[in-house]
Amino acid sequence: MTRFPLRGLRARMIVAFALATMIGAGAASWAGAESASDALVESHQRQLTRTLAEQIAAIAPTLTYPPDQAVLDRLRAAVGPDTTVSFEDLRSSDGADRATAELRGAVRERDRIATQRITADGRPLLLIGAPVMTTAPDGSRTPSGIEVYAARDLGEVEARIDDLAATAIGTAALALPVAGVIALLAAGGVLRPVRELRDTAQRLADGDLDARTPPQGADELAQLTATVNEMAGSLQASMAAMRRMQSDARRFAADVSHELRTPLTTLTAVAEVLADAADRMEETDARESARLAVTEIHRMVRLAEDLMEVSRFDAGTVRPRLEEIDAAEAVRDTLRARGWLDRVELTGPDGIALRAERRRLDVIVANLVGNALRHGAPPVRVRVREAGPEVRIEVADAGPGLPDHVLPHVFDRFYKADDARARTPGSGLGLAIALENARLHGGGLTAGNGDDGGARFVLRLPKEAP
Amino acid sequence: MAAILLIEDDPLVRRGLQLALGRHGHEVEAAATGEDGVAAFDAAPPQLVVLDLMLPGIDGFTVCRRIRARGTVPIIMLTARGDDFDIVGGLEAGADDYIVKPVQPTVLDARIRAVLRRGGTGPDGVREFRGLRVDTVSLTVSLDGAPVALTATELRLLLTLSGSPGRVFSRRQLLEAVWEHDYLGDSRLVDNCVQRLRAKIETDGADPVYVQTVRGFGYRFGPV
Amino acid sequence: MRRIWIAAAVLLLAGCGVEPSGVTDGGPAPTGVAPGPTLYFVDGGELRATVRDTGRLGTIAEALSLLLSGPGDADLDTEIAPTAFAKVEVTVTGQEVELRVPLSTEEVTPLGIDQIVCTALAAHVQNGGSTEATVRLRFTLEEPGSRDPRTCPLL
Repeated sequence: MTRFPLRGLRARMIVAFALATMIGAGAASWAGAESASDALVESHQRQLTRTLAEQIAAIAPTLTYPPDQAVLDRLRAAVGPDTTVSFEDLRSSDGADRATAELRGAVRERDRIATQRITADGRPLLLIGAPVMTTAPDGSRTPSGIEVYAARDLGEVEARIDDLAATAIGTAALALPVAGVIALLAAGGVLRPVRELRDTAQRLADGDLDARTPPQGADELAQLTATVNEMAGSLQASMAAMRRMQSDARRFAADVSHELRTPLTTLTAVAEVLADAADRMEETDARESARLAVTEIHRMVRLAEDLMEVSRFDAGTVRPRLEEIDAAEAVRDTLRARGWLDRVELTGPDGIALRAERRRLDVIVANLVGNALRHGAPPVRVRVREAGPEVRIEVADAGPGLPDHVLPHVFDRFYKADDARARTPGSGLGLAIALENARLHGGGLTAGNGDDGGARFVLRLPKEAP
Repeated sequence: MAAILLIEDDPLVRRGLQLALGRHGHEVEAAATGEDGVAAFDAAPPQLVVLDLMLPGIDGFTVCRRIRARGTVPIIMLTARGDDFDIVGGLEAGADDYIVKPVQPTVLDARIRAVLRRGGTGPDGVREFRGLRVDTVSLTVSLDGAPVALTATELRLLLTLSGSPGRVFSRRQLLEAVWEHDYLGDSRLVDNCVQRLRAKIETDGADPVYVQTVRGFGYRFGPV
Repeated sequence: MRRIWIAAAVLLLAGCGVEPSGVTDGGPAPTGVAPGPTLYFVDGGELRATVRDTGRLGTIAEALSLLLSGPGDADLDTEIAPTAFAKVEVTVTGQEVELRVPLSTEEVTPLGIDQIVCTALAAHVQNGGSTEATVRLRFTLEEPGSRDPRTCPLL
């Protein structure tokens, strides 16, 4: 099959089916033609033989016995062309004597007419060998010694047989389109369950775990279908279990961070009092402890806030409150609000309009620039530009860049590039939140290294957020 | 500096905020439930209410509405969640501003002062626009001779807008001018306050005469 | 797949035309040659077959003509009255040979009838006819039962 460009199961089935039908129809009509032609040859042969016997019988009583050459000639002439008549040493011949030794032997041995088909000069011939008998009054027969060998042309029969064969081929050929149509229908019938199974598998692959194919019948295909269904079932069950665990974990994180809020509110409220008091403390240990407590309170607040933000993203309840803002101006506001304007080079024209939520854009930019200032090396550059339907905000620093093993994980939650950085002011959720915010606007955030080796983050936001 | 009523159910949070606001010079009366809060309000009306939305018994929204029904005292709501539902619900109930917990005392103090700060108007005295009369000295507003009770925030919004009739203010400009928020302020504060103001001074809320919307930009006073 | 093609090709080729065959039987051989017809005459009151050497078998009618013309110079008798018109009409129908003889029943003795019947049957058989055949005689003057089928007592 590899030699034929028939790859599809459907095509192969149709061809095989049509072929089988063709061969069947061909064989049937051929067998018909064969037996018809056998009968035709048979009857033609019988007729030729009978004619010869009658011709001989008709003239035999008039023949002088034992015959002389003239008598033999007369007999031969009576029988027709292509005939040889012999009696002992005498013979009378017209045309080539084609009688085979086999035929002569049979004629002498059996004392009956014998026939044989041969092909001579490309034509089929019937050889008839007839001994002429002498019958006693009581009916007993003895060979007279006269033998007649005649050759009769079967060309005409052959032509008729060829006609029959042609008709058979024609009939078989007529069966082809019919076979084709039946094959098409049959292939459709056989392949429909295969197609359904494939569709189901496709839907499963696309994530529709409810997809099933009802198994029909009890063949291998039905077993396969049942197996696929089973597989989908267990996949669905484990997916559901996983989702449940995942959502449990997320709900837990949300609950924890939410529960932390109340004590943190108290802590935040009193931290200021504590900080003021610490400045006036006499004992250095107590003063340092109080300051540490205040610092850690602020860090915990930030962590809880980030956790809640992440939980909201996970819950899928976040909707951006879009407004028309000027991209460069928004970035400048962020830098100004944090006192970073003199530490960051901002380039980019004013007037790039962007529909986004101001606060979320601020979160992203502040995070990226904050990271660059903390982990990278100056100068930190922020470039705002228009790229088709998008606004790109690029934050690059001149530091050592992000190591290759870190790059795939920079947006992971709580991912710390190395232990030395473990105690940074960040919550470990900053970039994850930044990415979620970018996606919320239908944009994206990518991390990489610039040509000069420094880390480079590119924020892409569509001008018209979805 | 100001007499504040703090309604907060958690005793530690309540005490912590009381301590912190006290250090900023405020006199803080605290109540643990909504009922207690409303009772305390009636007993001694404060200059400002700080209201936690998550309360046992009657919830913060209901408390907010009840206080608003009693007058124009500014209300700052505290929300444990940053949920839009809480914020929008609180603003519709008549809150002037909101703060998400945990709150830094300095930030809360700044908001309190911003809400309480009034005026900033010139000595021009009285502005008249058809039936609307805004007295920038006595800080009273009347419509067709009838006095209109505005909250401090509503009044500041009206003063800001009517100070430059015909000028378009963006929401951000209004947030900075009226609420003294930074550049990240929530524009829903503005929209909500405009709605409340219109309800009080416009005869047809659907076709406002005084506070008009400039689609895509913000709001403008008039032209009348 | 390849096998199917080959099978189909073989099948197609096999049926084509008229192929040569071995030797097959073509039925009984023709007969009819003999040195002369067998005539039945009477010798001492009994039938006796003699071969009249004419060089060829001839027909039933010819054999009967020879019979009617008498034994000639042979030392034999005939019990058939001599007749100038020695022509017999022969009709072969299946197993029956009908003879119209130019004689009346009175001109032939029973033995003479046997002569005619045996000669006719002998010629019939020697010409390839059936040995089971019977003879029906039609005389110029008939008697009841003269037309009954007859067989030759010698054959």
